[in-house]
Amino acid sequence: MFVLLRHLQRVRRQAALSRHSGSRSLAIRHVDAGSCNACEHELTATAAPQYDLQRFGLDIVASPRHADVLLVTGPVTRRMEAALLRAYEAMPEPRRVAALGNCALGCGVLADAGELAAPLHEMLPVDIRIPGCPPSPQEIAEAILAAVDAP
Amino acid sequence: MSRPRAATPPRQTVDAIAVEPLAWREACASQIEGGWRFCGAYAAGVWKARRWTALFARGAGAIALTTDAGGASVPTIVDLAPAASWDEREAHDLYGLRFDGHEPLRPLVRHAPETASWTVPVGGEGTYQVAVGPIHAGVIESGHFRFHVVGERILHVDPRLFYKHRGLEVAAEGCEAPAALPYAQRACGACAVTNAVAYAQACEGALGLVAPRALRRARTVLLELERLYNHLNDIAAVCAGVGFAPGNMAFAALKERAQRLNAELAGHRFLFGAVAVGESGIAIAADRAERARGALRELGQDAARAWREIAFSASVQARLGGVGALGREDAAELGAVGPAARACGLALDTRAESPGLWYGAAFAPAAPPAPRGDAAARLEMRAAELPVTFELLDELLAEPIEAAVAAPAGPADPIGISRVESPRGETVCAVELVGGAVRRLHLRTGSYANWPALAHATAGNLLPDFPLINKSFELCYACADR
Repeated sequence: MFVLLRHLQRVRRQAALSRHSGSRSLAIRHVDAGSCNACEHELTATAAPQYDLQRFGLDIVASPRHADVLLVTGPVTRRMEAALLRAYEAMPEPRRVAALGNCALGCGVLADAGELAAPLHEMLPVDIRIPGCPPSPQEIAEAILAAVDAP
Repeated sequence: MSRPRAATPPRQTVDAIAVEPLAWREACASQIEGGWRFCGAYAAGVWKARRWTALFARGAGAIALTTDAGGASVPTIVDLAPAASWDEREAHDLYGLRFDGHEPLRPLVRHAPETASWTVPVGGEGTYQVAVGPIHAGVIESGHFRFHVVGERILHVDPRLFYKHRGLEVAAEGCEAPAALPYAQRACGACAVTNAVAYAQACEGALGLVAPRALRRARTVLLELERLYNHLNDIAAVCAGVGFAPGNMAFAALKERAQRLNAELAGHRFLFGAVAVGESGIAIAADRAERARGALRELGQDAARAWREIAFSASVQARLGGVGALGREDAAELGAVGPAARACGLALDTRAESPGLWYGAAFAPAAPPAPRGDAAARLEMRAAELPVTFELLDELLAEPIEAAVAAPAGPADPIGISRVESPRGETVCAVELVGGAVRRLHLRTGSYANWPALAHATAGNLLPDFPLINKSFELCYACADR
């Protein structure tokens, strides 16, 4: 255990993360609407010691009932449409929608058109756009922080 | 280090055999009796021209049995090869085939609204159902699980996947062979290299091409880089599953280092775009290869050190033993593959049977530390496989990775089949080409093969242990859903 904790300390020192980040908080609910799993990997990586997004008050929460932001990955398949909309409806106002990755943005989607519902932006008001295939953890962190800090 | 690797292999050909519908069961049974292992099945064509093909493997060889399914009805083989259950259900949903004797033929890809139509009936005093998903509490792919429980004890689980079905196989139809590669690759981000290599090799088989040494080396480097970051990720995931944050974070940090190395070597953290049909998508000069070797050596040492901490953490180990146990015979019968199968003691690693890659006769898979088939064994299996991957990469990167082109070696075939070991097990790709364009693409990934085994291993366990069992298999949903 101590070896692991020392190792983590070293990683954090190398990453040169700032300790303080001002006071803010944002609760994010992720919904996979048919991604290839790469966006999920990168979103998970934002919690890794090299990025540690939690230090900015950003948290992935377990329920849309607790969330400020609905973070959507994937091109929205027919079979995920209903669940996605129900997650959005479950969120308290004010709420924001973030599209994570090119598929969620409707760009360069690889699929049989018959298996997809409408693009995300036709279904829900998209406020935060995070392009990339997939966007790196750095890009995800920067895009979300920029949205939080926007006046 | 100089170990004998494979010489240029003979061209991989597929024995494609047409079978009369009435002789279908007999033909499949005789393959199985002959020691051939069922490794996938797919339907193709429309209406009266529908066909049904079953794939069998033995050593590096592959056989494709095809029967006419224009009458919409084919005898089932699930009693001969229980691993064919999902394949038959999928063909029923997507191609309207019926399988005589497969009763009840429950929907799999098609989401039927009535729960009773797609779940196994479970009754008795005190039994009830718990529905979980498709959206889960963490950053997890979408999929639904219907648990039949008594108290906290799971009697049975019906996984309902395919929420992420994007129709990638259909979308690829009609594309020129090289242009359709992204459809196979993007079936899954975490298995992108495996899927792309499987697709490229299947196409090359159909086009009559063989991979020269440089191409085999380039692809093997990519496959092992993919295995490396996935195994690190999967060990982190199990630590998260038991609430052991230091282990989770340590391995998440190691995975991040592996992915940064991917970006350095191939220009992408998931190695997208590094595989192409008939040629190599990467080249690594000697100095970069040497730097990567150094970085990998350091990563290997840190991973070994971190692993020792987990292996000797009594509270972590106490959470893993006996959880989600899968018996060896059950694993074989259900067609389990990859680390999950090897953790049960099945000697099943497609890397040993891949003449189109670098491994050759010198490849020695890691021995399972204790093949009990439970969550602990699956975790230990991955940890034991890491040094093999580090060793392979060290050997491969001792030389620069050069650009390469596949060489013509014979006439074109109507079908190409390729099997590649992904981080989750054997992935099988079948490609039918007509005039250089894709007529049918079928991808049966290691995750697809393992989902029924995961469901089987879940029965008898406690409901709160399911996330841990799920993470100990760490299967992709995207890979299965396509």
